[in-house]
Amino acid sequence: MPILETRGLNKHFGGLHVTADVNLAIPAGEIHCLIGPNGAGKSTLFRLILGEHQPSSGQVLYDGEDITRLKSFERIRRGMSVKFQVPGIFKALSVRQNLEIALQHHLDHGSLRQEIDELLGFLSLRDAAGQLAGNLSHGQKQWLEIGMAVALKPKLLLLDEPTAGMSPDETHATGEMVKELRRGGVTVLAVEHDMDFVRQVADRVTVLHMGRVFAQGTIGEIVADERVAAIYLGEVHA
Amino acid sequence: MSFARLISRIEGPQTLGRGPAFWGGFAVVLAAAYGYPLLADGYTVGNTAYFLTWTFMALGLCLIWGYGGVLSFGQTAFFGMAGYGYGVLTLNFGEAYGFTLLALVLAVAAAALLAVVLGYFLFFGRISGVFLGIVTLSVTLVFERFMAQTAGPEWRIGAARLNGFNGMSGMPPLTVPWFGGDIVLFPDVALYYVLLTLLLVVYLALRILVNSRFGNVLVAIRENPERAEMLGYDIRRYQLGAFVIGAALAGLSGVLYTSWGQYITPSSMGITAAALPIIWVAVGGRSDLTATLVGTLAILALFQALTIHGSQYALVVMGALLVVTVLAAPEGIVTALLKLPGRFGRRSAVRAITEAEG
Amino acid sequence: MDVLGAVAASLFQFGDTFAFLVLSASGLAIIFGMMGVINLAHGEFIMCGAYVTVLASRAGLPLPAAILAGALAAGLAGMVVERLVVRHLYSRPLDTIVATWGISLIASQGTLILMGSTMQGVGTPLGSLEVGGYHYSGYRLVLIAVALALLLALYLFFNRTRFGVLARATIQVPHMAEALGVDTRRVYSLTFGLGAALAGLTGGLYAPTMTMVPTMGATFIVEAFVTVVVGGADVFLGTAPAAAVLGVVKAGLTAGYGQLFGQIGLLVAVIGFIRMLPKGISGFILRERA
Repeated sequence: MPILETRGLNKHFGGLHVTADVNLAIPAGEIHCLIGPNGAGKSTLFRLILGEHQPSSGQVLYDGEDITRLKSFERIRRGMSVKFQVPGIFKALSVRQNLEIALQHHLDHGSLRQEIDELLGFLSLRDAAGQLAGNLSHGQKQWLEIGMAVALKPKLLLLDEPTAGMSPDETHATGEMVKELRRGGVTVLAVEHDMDFVRQVADRVTVLHMGRVFAQGTIGEIVADERVAAIYLGEVHA
Repeated sequence: MSFARLISRIEGPQTLGRGPAFWGGFAVVLAAAYGYPLLADGYTVGNTAYFLTWTFMALGLCLIWGYGGVLSFGQTAFFGMAGYGYGVLTLNFGEAYGFTLLALVLAVAAAALLAVVLGYFLFFGRISGVFLGIVTLSVTLVFERFMAQTAGPEWRIGAARLNGFNGMSGMPPLTVPWFGGDIVLFPDVALYYVLLTLLLVVYLALRILVNSRFGNVLVAIRENPERAEMLGYDIRRYQLGAFVIGAALAGLSGVLYTSWGQYITPSSMGITAAALPIIWVAVGGRSDLTATLVGTLAILALFQALTIHGSQYALVVMGALLVVTVLAAPEGIVTALLKLPGRFGRRSAVRAITEAEG
Repeated sequence: MDVLGAVAASLFQFGDTFAFLVLSASGLAIIFGMMGVINLAHGEFIMCGAYVTVLASRAGLPLPAAILAGALAAGLAGMVVERLVVRHLYSRPLDTIVATWGISLIASQGTLILMGSTMQGVGTPLGSLEVGGYHYSGYRLVLIAVALALLLALYLFFNRTRFGVLARATIQVPHMAEALGVDTRRVYSLTFGLGAALAGLTGGLYAPTMTMVPTMGATFIVEAFVTVVVGGADVFLGTAPAAAVLGVVKAGLTAGYGQLFGQIGLLVAVIGFIRMLPKGISGFILRERA
């Protein structure tokens, strides 16, 4: 049984068909990348999965359960977690406190402190623990948010352009982080533009175009697909 | 959570002021506040008690607005609700057997209940910041207008005439039943001590609250509601919780004010009255309880001093103070002053934060 | 005949309420729509317009000219406020609201100091006319016509004039407008002035029907607030339909239970509306898509 499944998912905004009949099934333990030109509907699909938007029609299933009508926080509590494209951190609070807020609802006081220290190490943020999160470098902010998402011990991690704005080294390190998480049993669904990153981590890739699933397969199959190249070229020319 | 852990939350990332220096100063101020009636006459002490009645509303607004990031511009609605509630109850049932204390609790509960109902619609309707501000402000203005037209004799609840624009008066002051005769808390030394102690308890309890897990989530919602929700928090409940606590504190101020002067009028819910708590909290520093408390008392004293020249002049100054604060010191004047030492000794401040959190 | 008369009377009641809501809210809605700012000094700009209208009228100006003078004065005051305060707070819209509250306090109390607690007004012109056994104030019929004309004028202004189109471009994509060489600061300044002038116009129009007190602006703001809450950021797609819906609620309740209950009903309806249609406020849909 797939851990995440969408069935005939549609979303209109006014007359605009942003997501059209999307059927997606992500098996547990997979790293799945979602690619597509700008405006392909990737972010909207994410928001539908997270429950920030309600679909016009269709269903979202998590672990076999229909969660289409659940609120976002209820989905999170069932084992989903997300890292947004623009770092969604608490800028005016310290790095340590950011992690504390992410961890506090499932840990008591003693293990909380220990867990924060472990996470700070995993994220290479130990020296910055007392800093305000808003003062971190861009890459560090991205990592902090990944850390907050991971802190929930999710079964399914959604990443929206996790490497946006990162240097090649930081991107690679992030890729290794994602693979490490998968070894720990986390399923990952990532929206990503950086093809090097996709090559590094993806088991399978789905291409979205104009709100529809355009192609699906391994990274090798997708790269070899001329139709996929065409839609990206089309975007360059437009 | 153990009691010791609870107490340890009295310091934390959400409150300025920590370490021996702060608590030493705190002890000195507290001792001075408790000793002060020995040096002043009863009238002055009663007047200071008047200042203290307002601080609860200010601290409540600080919690909602400063920590929760919710623009509640209508705290005076809860103030008025509880003030009128106290009046209606005590005018009907009198002050014997400590009933005034029960009336206080019931009136505050009524204000909290109003906040539950209103807050349910607002927060579960997911209304955004600006709209929340103007809806809450509208509520208090409509409440004022409603009470202002209750002049006729048909507007009565039991023995209590609502009395329209002139307001209600003649309710008894708070009365504590005691061996050998009730203690009536007229605006005098006894009332001052009761209010000071109540303020101390509320201030310390709020410090614990904002540094607790609840407070963590509250500031997280203020900083980034979407992220907070995506960490699995039902942000509506947290905001509603803070809103109800803030409303109850505004209600407490309403009861204390009503019993202090033995009157309440609709204008205490009008637009000018609604602006005053905003000014105290904004000018003091909305994101810190201590700054709010110090700012509120300072501005109340300033306001009263200015009122000698006419209250409309004092209000012009208050308006100007608000505009200047927003433009020049958006985090509040007291907060800016409290942070001043940190500007000179950046490193020690950072160390203090790390120690406090580590 | 009686039925027709009653229908006409309810229609008049509705039109009167609709006009009041549209006129109260349009200045507030334009500033909110363009700048995301709720101007809490809105009531004081209305008061300013009313005071100038009455003073000009007593100085001998014919009423329509006096009303325009009131609108102009409020508009100028708005531009001064924008230059001195609001301009510095564009990056902090929530703080702008607090700052404009301070201005509101200064303005109403300053007027109290300068002009006293009340001022002699001007009488309501145009008398009344009788139709089917009901008496109608001629002036209120004029107000209904003015409200409709104002909606039309604003529509033409924002869709047919160069400034209007630029202004709308500035709201939708500020940096794009800037890239096209639009002086967005000037657009904001004029927009704030326009919103204040509309408030002044409202004050001038209602001045002959009201008691002149420095706090008279408070009479308008609850209606203005709730109309903007329901209608959102767009004057045509938001304010006008919101005023129509709320006009029915308020006129109905006012007819049955009096002015105050009309207002209470209005507020309760709005709070219920918020709960029933979360994100139903027009601006939200646009933001979601972005």
